Amino acid sequence: MLLRALPVAALLPALPAFAQAAPRVVSLDYGLASTLLGLGVVPAGITDLAGWDKWVVEPRMPAGVADLGTSAEANLEVLAGLKPDFILTTPYLDAQLPRLREFGAVLRLETFKYEGTPILTAAIAATRKLATELGREAEAERFLSGMDAFFADCRQRLAGKALPPVALVNLMDARHARIYGDPGLFHDVLGRIGVHNAWTERSTDWGFQTIAIEELSRIADPDAILIAFDPVPADVMPKLGRSPLWRSLPVAQPGHFFVLPPALMFGMVNEAMRFGRLVTQLLEREA
Amino acid sequence: MTAQAAVRFGFRPAIVTLGCMLLAGALAWLLVAPRIGAGVAEGYDVTRMVLLHATLPRLATALIAGAALSLSGALFQQVLRNPLASPTTLGISAGANLALVIALLFFPALLGLGRDLVALAGSAAAAVIVMGLGARRGFSPLSLVLSGLVVSLWCGALAAVLTFLNDRYLVSLFIWGAGSLAQQSWDIPLSLLWKVAVLALLSGLIVRPLSLLELGDGSASALGVRLAQLRFVAIAIAVALAALVTSAVGVIGFIGLVAPIIARLAGARRVPELLLWSSLIGAALLLSADVAVQLAAGAFSDFLPTGAVTAIFGTPVLLLLLRKLKTRHRVIAAPLPARRRLSAAQAAAIGFGALAVAVIVAIFVGRAFDGTWTWLAGDMVREMLSLRMPRVFTALASGAMLAVAGVLLQRLTGNEMASPEVLGISAGATFGLVICIFVAAAPGLGAQLGFAATGAFAVLAVILAFALRSGLSPERVLLAGIALSAMVDAVVGVLASTGDPRALLVLRWMSGSTYNAVGGTAAALGAAALLLVGLALLARRWLDLLPLGPSPASALGVPLKMSRLALFCLAGLLSAVATLGVGPLSFVGLMAPHLAREAGLVRALPQMAGAAVAGGALMVLADWLGRTVVFPYQIPAGLTAALVGAPFLILLLSRRR
Repeated sequence: MLLRALPVAALLPALPAFAQAAPRVVSLDYGLASTLLGLGVVPAGITDLAGWDKWVVEPRMPAGVADLGTSAEANLEVLAGLKPDFILTTPYLDAQLPRLREFGAVLRLETFKYEGTPILTAAIAATRKLATELGREAEAERFLSGMDAFFADCRQRLAGKALPPVALVNLMDARHARIYGDPGLFHDVLGRIGVHNAWTERSTDWGFQTIAIEELSRIADPDAILIAFDPVPADVMPKLGRSPLWRSLPVAQPGHFFVLPPALMFGMVNEAMRFGRLVTQLLEREA
Repeated sequence: MTAQAAVRFGFRPAIVTLGCMLLAGALAWLLVAPRIGAGVAEGYDVTRMVLLHATLPRLATALIAGAALSLSGALFQQVLRNPLASPTTLGISAGANLALVIALLFFPALLGLGRDLVALAGSAAAAVIVMGLGARRGFSPLSLVLSGLVVSLWCGALAAVLTFLNDRYLVSLFIWGAGSLAQQSWDIPLSLLWKVAVLALLSGLIVRPLSLLELGDGSASALGVRLAQLRFVAIAIAVALAALVTSAVGVIGFIGLVAPIIARLAGARRVPELLLWSSLIGAALLLSADVAVQLAAGAFSDFLPTGAVTAIFGTPVLLLLLRKLKTRHRVIAAPLPARRRLSAAQAAAIGFGALAVAVIVAIFVGRAFDGTWTWLAGDMVREMLSLRMPRVFTALASGAMLAVAGVLLQRLTGNEMASPEVLGISAGATFGLVICIFVAAAPGLGAQLGFAATGAFAVLAVILAFALRSGLSPERVLLAGIALSAMVDAVVGVLASTGDPRALLVLRWMSGSTYNAVGGTAAALGAAALLLVGLALLARRWLDLLPLGPSPASALGVPLKMSRLALFCLAGLLSAVATLGVGPLSFVGLMAPHLAREAGLVRALPQMAGAAVAGGALMVLADWLGRTVVFPYQIPAGLTAALVGAPFLILLLSRRR
């Protein structure tokens, strides 16, 4: 009875249908999914669609895109039904590669793997590689020069202002935070728009450090501002408000501490631009 | 043992306490001194603020939490007459933690009512379950701690996996589950202080009757001590202490076990001495540990949660203690007088019928693309079969193997809480995987399985080597195994709280998914299951005779050492292979043997067959529920089985009183 599973499973799924027009692409990564939109390709399906509006927000994901479940365990039954031409993955999902190849051509793109080059540079290279595979080189160059122009515009809008250095965190609970340093996508974007990162310590290769709140006192510059990205857990701000330490931190003072809408650190070019826009708007208003 | 030790060492508890305090003080000075020195800067004085509102409250919290946990441990050890009892080993802290995690994830409004109340409810529930299981075996120290550690493991794993499934980017619960003492105000230490002080005063009131307990139950009742009430009050105080600490700073492992032991080794024998010195030593220990962690974390500029670190260092203490404990063989309680016993034929018909239904449903009932429930048909049949059948048969084979391993272990050890999960094999597999994921750059599935298998067999070898020295005393094997599991749990906790995305891969593996099953692996698992279960069935004579006890068994011609070694190895192989299929957490190996016994299958052969069928069916059902209920998202089979199975198991065990 058990052994009967073998011959059935050996009959692999039928070959993917040959695409007539636009290739059918599914993405197992948020950054790659939003890059697809940037290249003018609407994905057939993405993982964690349910969390898109909480973590990525923009660009909006058009209706009709299928949800593939979690990225660690993309739903293979849905995947088989979608019959994709391309499946986009990152090195993080390497263990799944042999399985995924049964359902379509797998494009493995190194988007947030740190190997000595800045993360943004890696994201740009991955965007070009993706575009080559999909035959969208022209769109990619337009998309990337759009990014360059966007960052140049941000830089120019901020030029001449006395810009404070900024520290970037996600508050995890009332006692701990994740702080983003170098290497990291956010750090690279700050460099592009001419803003200094107030957190000068090196982060892990994943782009962040986990710290206790009082370690924010290691931010040396008295002018520095602190930006926390949503979602901030509901109980955090009331609890911090009762902490004398928090209330006395220079970066927690009114005019120094701001909560901004979500921005995804594990993203690519679109996430970098969203982050750049949020920070630029804040600094234009406050600096 | 403790009295002898005291005579041998001959030093006084006060001196030892003073030593611990001096160590803690010196370490704390190392941490604080540079901040005081730098504190005379002009203008805004951030260093002073950090010292006043972060460093000092953290030191105070460590002192109070350490004292509270140790007082709790000392009370448990005294009232249960169990040198292994503590909030950690009885599952009290883990119960509080799980309750808080569930409240935070699913009923945030409850936390508005008060974290302490939620934590208290969780730890009280854990206490009731563990004590209930322990009472059935006359509060034997090892059995009680075994039940406690199983509950602890289950709660800890469930809390971690629930968090992981709920939100991949928010790992705060891990930090907190792993016990971080970081503070930014005096709120927590001050509120903890008065609550702990009240409970300490209450425990002071029962010191005298507790001392009378030392004379023995008979003399104590003769002197007017109401035993049941006294025990209840003492345990309630101990549970409350542990719950409050967990609610304030998370799970701090093993301090409550180690401090009273040191106090006793130092010669504290009378109850008031024991409670006092334990608390002080515990305060000093946790302070030392926390300061050491801060100094180390400063050096590596990385985040280390104190609670998990104390667990990593506390586990070896538990292992060392085991060697000093006397154990004796126990016969499993006579088979329950079942109200209606099934005939073998009826049991077989029901078992195989249920299994067949489970397999057919699991293969043919699913969710369509748009989420509607469908019976598999149409043009996708072949493709869907090739996706579903490997998962179903992986679940089936793994469930059956875990179940048989459970029967072997329960019969070998005479302990109904024995199961593959507590043998430590699964922990070894998890640890192998951790090494693989963190050492290899991007390991493939094959490498991951290879490392997991190596880890499983390495642990099996270590446990057997450890246990051979003690003549393979079964309960020691189990406790050594579960202590290792606790340690691996702590290591995973440390990794997860750093937020490293690779830690999530480990958690995913722990949650026990059949996702990676393909035809080839399913067939290999099936073949292994047939072979190993077949071998187990062949050993039925040993398995019928060993539970009678060592002397009757050898009198009937069972080679004790040889048979135990062979059966432990077989159980190890079964659980190692099954763990590769469905992860380390299903608890099917604990449930299925009880289901079989409940159905009236008492002798080894029918019990093994019945357990295999029940275990297979349970796992298949769990896998199917996990694949369909939250479609297109998936709940791993191991987690589903543990979620559904654990309450059911508790019900089963409590009914059979």
